[in-house]
Amino acid sequence: MYTSVVRLQNVFGFFTTVAFVVAAFIAASDFLTERAPIVRTLKTTSVQVVRGRPHYYSSKKEEYAVINFSLDADLSSLFTWNTKQVFVYVTAEWPAADHAKTNATNEAVIWDTIITSPSADHLANIGPVAMKKLRKSAGGKSIDPNRGKLSLKNQRHKYKITHPSGKLAMTDNVTLRLHYNVQPWVGLLTWDQDVDYGYWKALKNGVSKRFKLPAIKEKKPASAGAR
Amino acid sequence: MLSGLANPRQAAVQLMNFGLILSTAFMMWKGISVITDSPSPIVVVLSGSMEPAFQRGDLLFLWNRNVLAETSVGEIVVYNVKGKDIPIVHRIVRKFGKGPEAKLLTKGDNNVSDDTELYASGQDYLVRNDIIGSVFAYIPFVGYVTILLSEHPWLKTVMLGLMGLVVVLQRE
Repeated sequence: MYTSVVRLQNVFGFFTTVAFVVAAFIAASDFLTERAPIVRTLKTTSVQVVRGRPHYYSSKKEEYAVINFSLDADLSSLFTWNTKQVFVYVTAEWPAADHAKTNATNEAVIWDTIITSPSADHLANIGPVAMKKLRKSAGGKSIDPNRGKLSLKNQRHKYKITHPSGKLAMTDNVTLRLHYNVQPWVGLLTWDQDVDYGYWKALKNGVSKRFKLPAIKEKKPASAGAR
Repeated sequence: MLSGLANPRQAAVQLMNFGLILSTAFMMWKGISVITDSPSPIVVVLSGSMEPAFQRGDLLFLWNRNVLAETSVGEIVVYNVKGKDIPIVHRIVRKFGKGPEAKLLTKGDNNVSDDTELYASGQDYLVRNDIIGSVFAYIPFVGYVTILLSEHPWLKTVMLGLMGLVVVLQRE
């Protein structure tokens, strides 16, 4: 009965069982750590609507909203031993044309960032100099709550947003909203929440004041041939 | 196996056991499919476009029902492009409208630009129906063996050969 194959099977079976039980405990430990993310400031600093093309070879003209903003947030409690990265993103949200009837909205990401936990720094897609700096910033710690402190002043948008109709100017009731997505080493992916669940508190104050997109900012006639 | 020939009853039992294991695995897979409402409830990451969150070989668990809320911006979804058979794992970055006709745009966290280029020609946005599930849970690395098997087909032969050898050599 006790051939080496059977022994090998037993060892492998035991290894996988232990690995999965440990992983399950690590994943469950997320629910026992407190999360209390807060946003102190989220406001627009400049809002413009410009005309442009979706890409160089397109002849379609669309209106793009260019939104810059300031953000002061503390997401440090999201960083635990099971945090691989936190994906932070700011969306602009505005009611759809048929909002009154269907309650439909439009939502688009205007800025995002990946904050790796020091334990996942080696996976970040950055150059060697930035990598060295990033690693140094953690000071050798495997968990660094300072990573979650965001303080952006007049941050430039990362994505110009538009609407399938191509029309965006004079849109009213636009809000900015901060979101996050916690990526664990193992277990459940979690997002920002509106209500408290156990030790996890809702994200407070994560919505900006309502604002209105201005009329199109006319560019000065380009000297290089107006087509 | 040779000993099995001498005892047809034992051979039949072995065959039944083998069939049972196969059908149990198949039923479990289909069962999870029904519960999650996804044709492929567990997927293996094949590309680095969501790094550093997902590496190649990581295992993702999908959920395809909208019980409490609609699939919305920020969720990581797996979708199939029309006419192509490769599932893609990317994040939704824009959503216009509501319901099954809402227009969705996706982007990989590690990619510079959004997925417009990846979609079929004439397709500017995804709709809910193109999505086969949203990622809700994650296990690293476990699926790497499937990548190895599909990229090095000779490994399959080696594995089958080893299994056959074990069966032949195993005597009581």
